[in-house]
Amino acid sequence: MSFLLRRLAFYLAAFIAAATINFFLPRVMPGDPIQMMFASAGSELSLENLNALKLTFGFIEAPLWQQYLTYLQSVFTGDLGVSIKYFPLPVTELLARALVWTVGLMGLATILSFTCGTLLGALAAWRRGTRLDTIISMSAIFSSSVPAVVISLVMLFIFGYQLGWFPSGYAADPMLDPAFSAQYIGSVIRHGTLPMLTLFIVLVGGFAVTMRNNMINLLGEDYIVMGRAKGLGEGRVMLWYAARNALLPTFSALAIAIGTVLGGSLVTEVVFNYPGLGNVLYQAILARDYPVIQGQLLIMTGAMLVSNFIVDLSYVLLDPRLRKA
Amino acid sequence: MQQLVSGLLRNRKAVIGAVILLLIIVAAFAAPLLSQYSPTARVGRPHQPPSLEHWLGTTRVGRDVFTQLIYGARTSLAVGFGAGLMITLIGTMLGIIAGYKGGVIDEVINFFTNMVLVVPNLPLLLVLAAFIGQASPLVIAVILGLTSWAWGVRVTRAETLSIRQKDFIKSAEMLGEPSWRIMAFEIFPNLISIVGINFIGSVIFAVITEATLEFLGLGDPNTVSWGIMLYNAQNASALSVGAWWDLLSPCIALALLGLSLALINFAIDEIANPRLRTGGRLGRWAALVQAGEGRL
Amino acid sequence: MSVPVLSVKNLSIDYIGDETDFRAVDDVSFDIGPGEFFGLAGESGCGKSTIAFAISRLHRPPALIRSGEILLQGRNVLDLDTEQLRKFRWSQVAMVFQSAMNSLNPVLTIETQFYDVLHTHLGMNRAQARERAAELLKLVDISVDRLKSYPHQCSGGMRQRIVIAICLALNPKLLIMDEPTTALDVVVQREILQRIDTLRGELGFSVLFITHDLGLMVQVCDRIGVMLEGKLVEVNAAHDIYTAPQHDYTRKLWASMPRLHGEQIRQGAQ
Repeated sequence: MSFLLRRLAFYLAAFIAAATINFFLPRVMPGDPIQMMFASAGSELSLENLNALKLTFGFIEAPLWQQYLTYLQSVFTGDLGVSIKYFPLPVTELLARALVWTVGLMGLATILSFTCGTLLGALAAWRRGTRLDTIISMSAIFSSSVPAVVISLVMLFIFGYQLGWFPSGYAADPMLDPAFSAQYIGSVIRHGTLPMLTLFIVLVGGFAVTMRNNMINLLGEDYIVMGRAKGLGEGRVMLWYAARNALLPTFSALAIAIGTVLGGSLVTEVVFNYPGLGNVLYQAILARDYPVIQGQLLIMTGAMLVSNFIVDLSYVLLDPRLRKA
Repeated sequence: MQQLVSGLLRNRKAVIGAVILLLIIVAAFAAPLLSQYSPTARVGRPHQPPSLEHWLGTTRVGRDVFTQLIYGARTSLAVGFGAGLMITLIGTMLGIIAGYKGGVIDEVINFFTNMVLVVPNLPLLLVLAAFIGQASPLVIAVILGLTSWAWGVRVTRAETLSIRQKDFIKSAEMLGEPSWRIMAFEIFPNLISIVGINFIGSVIFAVITEATLEFLGLGDPNTVSWGIMLYNAQNASALSVGAWWDLLSPCIALALLGLSLALINFAIDEIANPRLRTGGRLGRWAALVQAGEGRL
Repeated sequence: MSVPVLSVKNLSIDYIGDETDFRAVDDVSFDIGPGEFFGLAGESGCGKSTIAFAISRLHRPPALIRSGEILLQGRNVLDLDTEQLRKFRWSQVAMVFQSAMNSLNPVLTIETQFYDVLHTHLGMNRAQARERAAELLKLVDISVDRLKSYPHQCSGGMRQRIVIAICLALNPKLLIMDEPTTALDVVVQREILQRIDTLRGELGFSVLFITHDLGLMVQVCDRIGVMLEGKLVEVNAAHDIYTAPQHDYTRKLWASMPRLHGEQIRQGAQ
């Protein structure tokens, strides 16, 4: 339990660190920070609204530390300001809407690619030196070294434009109303397939390589040899004696990989014009909508920390040595 | 070091990777000899398909894609290797210091490393780049170098911790060698393959990230680089108007560069950790079994 | 001597290298009779573990069995196909591995590790397996509630006794012990060997005991083979190995270790 409590405290510190970056960044840039942050607002914002926004970001007539505390207070009360482009939509609301799509896309792609990647990596390790190993390793190197932006563009080109199998944008047919109907859900699946497949390709190789290396390092362990000596089926030994143990270090690599997942999904969403966080962010960058750009760092950090915590929890479940008797 | 190099020369993956990388480097250096055009000049009609005159066609504004590609390679290589070097330098130094010194120094470095690891990298870079405005390749390289060293610290520190226990370190300490000498001349040479893997991995990361930031519109649109090529092609809706060469050329270039570096990295890993190795003796083993000269 | 349980004939094993091969076992032949306690001694790297692995055909590339036969009750183990081999393993030959701390799977309960064997070979269900496992644990004096434990919750000596209990699950003809006690302290070491000896009397299996500790071996074995650089240089009754070693190397082995092993332990304990 104390292990998890320590992790939680650490995550809180990391979140504050992200907020601190947000706070100082406009202030260390040359020029007037207020001018910079809200330049794109033009004359659309009334003075009253602008003052409210300034307060949220801690631009008050007070010493720096009071400004900092004011900003932290805003962050922890869930006030990330309003979007300038989509005024008066609050940043939290804008991001929350987008987050649903991103989490769905990312979560499913991560689970699928982690499952397939570890299984393929385990298979390659078990049959190492064979042709199967070569094929898996080579594909894995390819998938893990080619940028997400390249894979998504090529996928879009082949399946979206050349073959025309899948639509090239949006999360669902914009003519349909969101509803729990077969038609709408079918449309969501059709629109989600290409981005999902892209993310899958981006991620699966890294997991496979990590798993393969971890498992090869374990193959000489006595408990695996004993598993074979016990006359168990090959599948049982491979999965429950070798892969099951190699999964532990692979799983902690997953925590770090979540950053890659986030980055990959940002890019994929932009290419496929998918209405997730990545796309909202892209629009915000084009419009220099700083409250949204800053808000996404906090949301992304939050998402990363939650995923890390889930990994921590699952790790405790996976490794009996961490469970208390 | 010599061992590493001679090992790499005998590894097929490393050789293939090195050949591709070398071709890209040569093309980048010899760009003015390989193309008669300037990468920023309008030299043809817009969106011409590949032809003898324009090997990879032209862009929306009539620039030569092939010329842009070979000049752009300079940017990708410079950012990749520059940022990669910086990332590796910081990561290796902090990792060795944390692992060897231990105590409070270790705790502080380790805390910050873990912190940087859980703040997602690309979103952070996006915020930084957005405040900088239009970031030139040099600026991108510097912010990559300053923000991406955490993974290197983690692996270097772990390895240093195990080397620190070895006898030759103990005896160097007994002889009263200053700790900077121990770190630089006793520990560092034993980390060479980890540092190599870290370096190549960081180069891959920097190349990919630079292209991504530029593609997302955070780069300086006046530079010639693969990321800006992607950005321009995407803005010109190259795919929907059928000008696939405009978008796919930088895609393939990026994929090749990434792949060549990854092959080299995989090979270093195999040399550093003999258990991962598959060629050589396993090949001979399989041949002997085939020939009926033995069994298991 | 009656029909041997195990008969190794002219066995040669190589480790394939990038360019040249390393001969780990060179033309080795020996027999083990029913109920016999046979020892294989030699320094580490002399090929004794390589022989042990070959008997259950546990080797992986780059190890390669170049020639020879391994007969278990007259049947050549090297001719078994995959399925025959799977059935043969553990039901005929069970094995205790070098590291006591490390031969149980850390992520499965002790019960599951019994169940794996009993289910695969005998088709037992969970309840039947639990009952049988409880009987087996009784043989090695371990409490039944340990079945619910994970390996890390048991001490090294306890784990080794659990491994021995798992070994006995299918009444094998031969029990191979590959340096089974190196990670344990001397008291536990002796206790375990005595228990094996008693069980051997009750259940009638033969033992192939591998160690570098010739002194320990002489106290428990009927016959001993001494290995040097892949060759079996001397096979003789344990008593003769002790009192009248024939080969130079055996004499050197004796010279290199403190004599009167048993008494030394007693002196150390005082």
